[in-house]
Amino acid sequence: MTADLSYSWSQALADVGQIAPIATLVGFMLFAIVTDLVLPRGRRGGAVAIVAAVGYAYSLGTVLYRWVSGQGGYAYHRFATGDNYALFFEMLFATLGILTVALSHSYLRKRGMLEAEFHIVIMAAVIGMMVLGSATSLVTVFLGLELLSIALYIACGFSRRESRSQEAAAKYLLVGGFASAFVLYGMALVYGGAGTTVIPDIAARLGTSESGNPLILLGIVLMGVGFAFKVSAAPFHMWTPDVYQGAPIPVTAFMSVGTKAAAFAMIVRVFAGGLPHLAPEWQALLAFVAATSMVWGNLAAIAQSSLKRMLAYSGVAQAGYIMIGVVAGGQNGLSAVLYYLFVYMFMNFGAFAVVTLLAEADGDRDNVADLRGLGQRSPLLAVAMTIFMFSLAGFPPSVGFFGKLFLFTAGVGAGYTWLVVLAVLMSVVSVFYYVRVLIPVWTPSPGSAGLSSSLSTKTAIALSGLASIALGIYPTTLLIAGQLGANPISGH
Amino acid sequence: MLTVIWLLPLVAAVLIAFMPPHFAKWMGVVAALAVLGVAAALAFLFEPGFHGFQFEEKLTWIPQLSIFYRLGVDGISLWLIVLNAFLTVIAILATPINKRTPSFVALMLAMSAGLAGVFMATDLVLFYVFWEAMLIPAYFLLWIHGEGPRPGAAALKFVLYTLVGSLLMLVGVIGEYVVTGRQTFDLAILATLAPAPSVQFGLFFVFALAFAIKTPLFPFHSWLPDAYMAAPTPMLITFAGVMGKAGAYGFLRIAVPLFPQPIGWWDWTWVIPALAVGGIIWGALMALAQKDMKLLVSYSSVSHMGFIVLGIFAFNVQGQQGAIVQMVNHGVIIAALFLIVGWIADRTGTRDRSAMVGLALRMPVMAGVFAIVTLAALGLPGLNSFVGEFMTLLGAWQRLPALAIVAAIGLLLTPVYMLRLFQGVMQGSPTGPVPRADIYAGQLTLLTPLIVLMFALGLEPNVLTSLMTSLGQIGLAK
Repeated sequence: MTADLSYSWSQALADVGQIAPIATLVGFMLFAIVTDLVLPRGRRGGAVAIVAAVGYAYSLGTVLYRWVSGQGGYAYHRFATGDNYALFFEMLFATLGILTVALSHSYLRKRGMLEAEFHIVIMAAVIGMMVLGSATSLVTVFLGLELLSIALYIACGFSRRESRSQEAAAKYLLVGGFASAFVLYGMALVYGGAGTTVIPDIAARLGTSESGNPLILLGIVLMGVGFAFKVSAAPFHMWTPDVYQGAPIPVTAFMSVGTKAAAFAMIVRVFAGGLPHLAPEWQALLAFVAATSMVWGNLAAIAQSSLKRMLAYSGVAQAGYIMIGVVAGGQNGLSAVLYYLFVYMFMNFGAFAVVTLLAEADGDRDNVADLRGLGQRSPLLAVAMTIFMFSLAGFPPSVGFFGKLFLFTAGVGAGYTWLVVLAVLMSVVSVFYYVRVLIPVWTPSPGSAGLSSSLSTKTAIALSGLASIALGIYPTTLLIAGQLGANPISGH
Repeated sequence: MLTVIWLLPLVAAVLIAFMPPHFAKWMGVVAALAVLGVAAALAFLFEPGFHGFQFEEKLTWIPQLSIFYRLGVDGISLWLIVLNAFLTVIAILATPINKRTPSFVALMLAMSAGLAGVFMATDLVLFYVFWEAMLIPAYFLLWIHGEGPRPGAAALKFVLYTLVGSLLMLVGVIGEYVVTGRQTFDLAILATLAPAPSVQFGLFFVFALAFAIKTPLFPFHSWLPDAYMAAPTPMLITFAGVMGKAGAYGFLRIAVPLFPQPIGWWDWTWVIPALAVGGIIWGALMALAQKDMKLLVSYSSVSHMGFIVLGIFAFNVQGQQGAIVQMVNHGVIIAALFLIVGWIADRTGTRDRSAMVGLALRMPVMAGVFAIVTLAALGLPGLNSFVGEFMTLLGAWQRLPALAIVAAIGLLLTPVYMLRLFQGVMQGSPTGPVPRADIYAGQLTLLTPLIVLMFALGLEPNVLTSLMTSLGQIGLAK
């Protein structure tokens, strides 16, 4: 096939329009770098934080404008797209960016870390995630994956004098590189079988007859393994607890939500969007991964005394729940996945945000016992933490319950009842460790000082808490957004 | 109007949590009285003999899955709503004032809101939401306000135990939605769409497990002694008085009408009543063996809940009406019993019934009211419990004569342990710890409405049953 290589000015403009949220953010990132260069040392941090926040907000505005105007379509010779699916994820990542800026500002000051560089690195990671959301070619997928990963390797090691943080960065780099290699091998094999890297074209060329093609099957398995590394699904989750524990908490909070959402964006786009005719093959693989994640993640989380590690394992389990929606597929399954990823951002990020506030100048305080007396030190934070924990555990009327309800309904509807029953039983286990966190929170401890927290952090936590309840009591709008977002993949 | 019944206490709870103790208690009483007023208005305006739900409210909630916010009241739920509102008033009145009162009253109101929601929801998902949401205040009540050495452990045991059942019920809820093929969670419609018996068998199991754990039905009751021991007395009034009924209500509202023929490997319509009778006997025997008065009353509760479930599974109007009457009766009696036991323990400093003899001479007023409550609990004709137990047994006799006979043995055991408790503690020449005082006038005032109800319901049970006429018509009793 000879592609038409002519490229007009108007075409270029239209293409940039399709990826406008990403392009905007790239512009702001460059501006942030310049700001960092020209301003005096003391003023850099705050200024870059403002640039970053405005950048995310502007990007979010662009997403909303494009969502409403509804002109999404392919760009750059079908290597990227601005469809609703991409826009949904761009919306998610822009919101996450804003929350991260709000959370990290005071934390970085307290710990004495380089603030300007931190925001720039996180912006780069957000851009990588957005690219993953809008990628419609294996090449662009890999581009986004690497951009996101490299930025996060740096962010994990951001606490330069702490050996734990350095260890986390090294571990993440090695394991992440390994996973990237798996993905790349898989992509190469699929390209070999299909003759194109453009995902919709792969779907058109690979019919059900290809289900016996070893090249394609091996490609699916290798990509699946690589993707499972990225979403931290068992049995490929080994890096997660160590990296989450070593990285500075805002980074952990950011990647626990962002990487997971980005990787799921990629899984759904590549598997459900690119290989619909080979669904039985990758569904079997992902169902296995979902089951092991739920069992392993939930059981291992019980034994943790570090909040970061506990939330890491809980993240493994949550990846399992979300995987049920991917396996179920269709508009119901995928919209449930999108809904869950969006609300997972609020509840998980919120939980990490509360832990962030416990940090002292010499390091993070992430032991369960460090929460002792939180109910006295700051009642509102304690209430917020309670909401996050009950939401993660899946109690109504929080978002966690409705997310699970949608995922499970899709799962049973698609005939994966055994997976849903397993998920439900494992949810009972999860209640044990989520609720256990609340015991120190509400146990009075005499002589505990108040908790200082900046206004921006408080706002981020309050917003997450409110969203964790409000989007549960009124889930309709977000669910409709999820359905619209899922449509380009499920073909409605 | 129905929305007010659950929303008002919830809003009040949020506000009361930030109030000073004295004010919190009395605002709590005011809120609970307001709800009771609405519930009473409901009972007055209720139209007997009406097919289906009354006072319906319906709002589209999640259209993608056709989930509606749908409330309604019928002959089954009406009295439970009134009972819940009434016992909440009593419970908050019985709350001692200290610096933890605001959070206690707030959580009590939240739990009562959840219970009211369970009784009013006519959409399966909404029912589930209330069903599980009420666990959160119950957990905190047991844990933060609990007594005994390890209230946290008891609270966690209660929550995990309940969750095993209720999360499996979630699978059942989804399964019902998928299996019936009509994509609806409306209870009234689902009741007309019974799936194939083998499917019903499985779905019935997951629903019945949740309800059996909540009720609790033998042999799923092992959370109950721990939780009741940990619960403070005012909480027990609604915890034992109403929450257990939510499980029985679930059987009557969901398990029975939605799955009329749950027959697969075996027939659940025989297994459940057999377990109920097992519970009647087991609870009575365990009550006989207890020295701790609170534990004794807890096990007697297991025994009495057996009658309720037996009545529901009699599958006739008598049995099911008897079950509802008994739910109300048991709620009133168990509240009074726990209050009295709590007060005796408070005055004497011990709950061990063998440690005290002849309290009657030292606390004559207490002895008097205790005598009435004891007689009501053991089912003396003329007092309320007799009516309910008699109706359930009569209903059960028509369908399951053998089980009814065994259950009647349980009925004989009740006087044994109740009278032994009363006589041991109250009669004889006084020894043991000297009580600080007789009960206060305020406490007597608190018991008065309960005792009046015991007589009223015992002499005029028609007040209750006359509004349940719809029961036979909506096709529940098959």
